[in-house]
Amino acid sequence: MENKIAVKVDDLTVAYNYKPVLWDIDLEIPEGVLMAIVGPNGAGKSTLIKSILGILKPIAGSVSIYDEPYEKQRQLVAYVPQKGSVDWDFPTTALDVVMMGTYGSLGWIKRPGQKEKKEALEALEKVGMLPFKNRQISQLSGGQQQRIFLARALVQNASIYFMDEPFQGVDASTEIAIINILKALRKAGKTVIVVHHDLQTVPEYFDWVTFLNVKKIATGPVKDIFNDDNLTKTYGINYKVSIQE
Amino acid sequence: MSSAQLEIQLIASLVAIACAIPGTFLVLRKMAMISDAISHSILPGIVIGFFITQDLNSPLLILLAAVTGIITVILVEYIQKTGLVKEDTAIGLVFPALFSIGVIMIAKNANDVHLDVDAVLLGELAFAPFDRLIISGVDVGPKSLWIIGTILLITIGLLFAFFKELKVSTFDTGLAASLGFSPVAIHYGLMTVSSVTTVGAFDAVGAILVVALMIAPAATSYLLTNELKRMLIYAICFGVFSAISGYWVAHWLDASIAGSITTMLGFLFLAVYLFAPNKGVIAVLYLERQQRTEVSLLTFLLHLKNHTEERERHVNHLNEHINWQKVRSKTVLDLAHKNNMIQLDKNIVSLTEKGEDFTSQAIDYIITNQDSKIEHMKDDFFLFRG
Repeated sequence: MENKIAVKVDDLTVAYNYKPVLWDIDLEIPEGVLMAIVGPNGAGKSTLIKSILGILKPIAGSVSIYDEPYEKQRQLVAYVPQKGSVDWDFPTTALDVVMMGTYGSLGWIKRPGQKEKKEALEALEKVGMLPFKNRQISQLSGGQQQRIFLARALVQNASIYFMDEPFQGVDASTEIAIINILKALRKAGKTVIVVHHDLQTVPEYFDWVTFLNVKKIATGPVKDIFNDDNLTKTYGINYKVSIQE
Repeated sequence: MSSAQLEIQLIASLVAIACAIPGTFLVLRKMAMISDAISHSILPGIVIGFFITQDLNSPLLILLAAVTGIITVILVEYIQKTGLVKEDTAIGLVFPALFSIGVIMIAKNANDVHLDVDAVLLGELAFAPFDRLIISGVDVGPKSLWIIGTILLITIGLLFAFFKELKVSTFDTGLAASLGFSPVAIHYGLMTVSSVTTVGAFDAVGAILVVALMIAPAATSYLLTNELKRMLIYAICFGVFSAISGYWVAHWLDASIAGSITTMLGFLFLAVYLFAPNKGVIAVLYLERQQRTEVSLLTFLLHLKNHTEERERHVNHLNEHINWQKVRSKTVLDLAHKNNMIQLDKNIVSLTEKGEDFTSQAIDYIITNQDSKIEHMKDDFFLFRG
């Protein structure tokens, strides 16, 4: 694959209270891949995403998005945080949460208008949540909340999508709906990076994978590197996963 | 009504509005206690400011006190970040320390300072009209009215300018950061506004009422609405209502104005807590009762659908068979009958066509868990509202 590099991570080290969570990570993510980041709990998967997005400050290393620092490329990037990271009792509606995706392109002070509302409604339509647009967010099921988050990322109309466990606590039909949207994004030439827990579905959903456990174990095409050897190195125990050809 | 009375109510109302705005965001950010901390720990700032300016209404004093408020927040966060104590403990450590420094400073210099701890804690709104702002010989109104008016205008301006930023960073810090709206800047902006408002309101209403005016209106309106803009508007209305009604209660009882306003806030919250249409205690109890009945109804309908044999469907048999008490069975039977879901023939119960349809749909929903299938049923039945 001779693609452009969408995301480049150089010597990234992140620590909480002097304990390294990520250690000297080098990573190149080519444009147009649908990539899973896998690793055990505490491996630093979310931390990696948050550091790329400038939410956490690394103690060493650098990150670039299409050869520029993240601060200059915000418009190219959309982010779906973990569902549990927000308070779903917040007084707001599904539509309003999706509208938040437009705030980035608006910048400081400017308010969203009709154009932004139209984009948000279109995104809700894409994830099948249009009938729920005026529903208070605490009245939505876990799967519906995840779809709202996905719609909010779609509205950002980015080139690179970072998603932190989008399949966590969703029902099977939502999982299929989400993966179909992710595959459609890849088809449209977007780069999608997903923190993922279910190893069984990696070969089916993704074409690129990064194994992470504080240090980077391996990164590359699923068909080349998703094997027992790397799984064992990452998880520390003998893993056997059959790969469907 | 004398002009002094009018001025007092006007000051109280402006203070209420100025407090309700940052208060709403503090409540949503689960930082209600930080307003308590700020309102106490600005005391040393006020005292030092007073030593320098000899004027309780000087802008420099307000600035110094607000800086103390920010220092409080920074100290709390610093202590918390060490991981040795939790946030509530950190708050409990910081503000009494700063407050007591202020108390000692007042006590040491009590002889030549017109400042006492009682006034700081409770304020004295009744005296506010006596301290006039005179500009080139013309009396333009009470000083505290001008101070809180200015603070309120700035607060409203900031709210309109940064409403979207405040909303996104309160709801989803991670997204706000990734979009480039620095949550740290917004956090300290909100803390600054809270501190300045506290200082401005402090002189008129005292440290305790400031906290009540920040938290109670927001907590009350939170129970009534699902939309941030409305929550702000309701909070402002509740604040103003309590300010004015509290004033008249104080007038009638010949009691402290600050105390009466706080009492009104308490009553208002209690009333909404009990009677709010969706989140209120009574509504929740009613909803639970309703849900229990509807689950029973569904169980009953399923039983009928599952059993064709007549002896399973005899009215008397149902009582013992589904293991309900008589009253409950009767309620359920009546409910099903009223909704035309069952028909009775010589005490043998059977499902009507409508009952059959309803039961199949309900089973469908329970098995597939697909919300779209029951959207139209939700209006009739609490059970599916989740």
